[in-house]
Amino acid sequence: MAVQPILKYPHPLLKKLAHPVPRLDAEIATLIQDLIDTMQAGPGSVGVAAPQIGAGLRVCVVDVSKSRHGKDNHHGLLAMVNPEIIVRSGSAVMREGCMSVPDYTGDVERATGITVRFLDGQSGAQQEVAASGFEAVAIQHEMDHLDGVLFLDRVVSISTGLFRRKNYG
Amino acid sequence: MTPSPERSYYAVSVVGPDRPGIVAGITEALYRLGCNIADSSCAMLASEFAMILIVSHPKPFTKAQLLDELKPAGDRLGMTLSLRSLHDGEEQRRAFAGEICQITVYGADQPGIVYRVTSALAARQINILDLQTKLVGSDDAPVYVMLLEATLPDAITPDDVEQLLANLRAELQVEIGIRIVTPVEL
Repeated sequence: MAVQPILKYPHPLLKKLAHPVPRLDAEIATLIQDLIDTMQAGPGSVGVAAPQIGAGLRVCVVDVSKSRHGKDNHHGLLAMVNPEIIVRSGSAVMREGCMSVPDYTGDVERATGITVRFLDGQSGAQQEVAASGFEAVAIQHEMDHLDGVLFLDRVVSISTGLFRRKNYG
Repeated sequence: MTPSPERSYYAVSVVGPDRPGIVAGITEALYRLGCNIADSSCAMLASEFAMILIVSHPKPFTKAQLLDELKPAGDRLGMTLSLRSLHDGEEQRRAFAGEICQITVYGADQPGIVYRVTSALAARQINILDLQTKLVGSDDAPVYVMLLEATLPDAITPDDVEQLLANLRAELQVEIGIRIVTPVEL
């Protein structure tokens, strides 16, 4: 059990590309347990990525099963090592906030359905999960952390489309 | 920056005919004064440009000093300035617990759309966070568009708001859409 402090922007690690995990070992098992403990300790938290607790490795955990948006459509606790999104479909806008960027929220457009392939951090097996809805959003948000991408990098304005001047030239 | 008792806080608004350089001119004056800009929002409405900013300055500093220093920049740019001192925690960002609703209203232009919708909301203590309107369409068929965001008190559900606005929708013959946009913490 080790709840780790969540790093906050502008901590430099949050903007760095995380390294692939070469193999599952005791160190990675500890990291995964820390991620799970940290997620479960955060009020309403549905995911944490390794860079958020100071580890520049491609590992993240997601669990939307206890959240009101995800409780009816989820795969429980996902401990993902070297995750890759291999299929994306649809798109929807959701207003996101992030523990690493306190006091700010923004509208972000993401795929509504994804298939993600990863090494299961607990069983060690290669897995593919087809996620949709809020779970898909949470996975994409946490995986962005592995690429040094924050939701701030993806914020879209709600009003530009509506109020943009047309150019008939 | 976290609000501090060592600083004076002001709400500054700046309005005038649009031209390039208004934001740069006003913020240069603030920067040279040693003011910090916290939250701000700027918009062009018709050909008028408006800025509203929360600024702070280390004490001692007065509203009169701030106005004296800003006025020349405002005059040079043809802008009208107004200033208000913030007291007793007014500089703090308020936290809202309730659901956040985005409400879209559009329809043939007519007097009273903003008034009727917002007074229905106000009567139920629904607090508006952001509101924009635009008159679009042609001279013979003007269309009014309003987009607002509001926080709901705990006792009011999105369905209640839907009900509340359904009557107005029929009476004013406008389209009204409601969407929950409460942020998700990830």
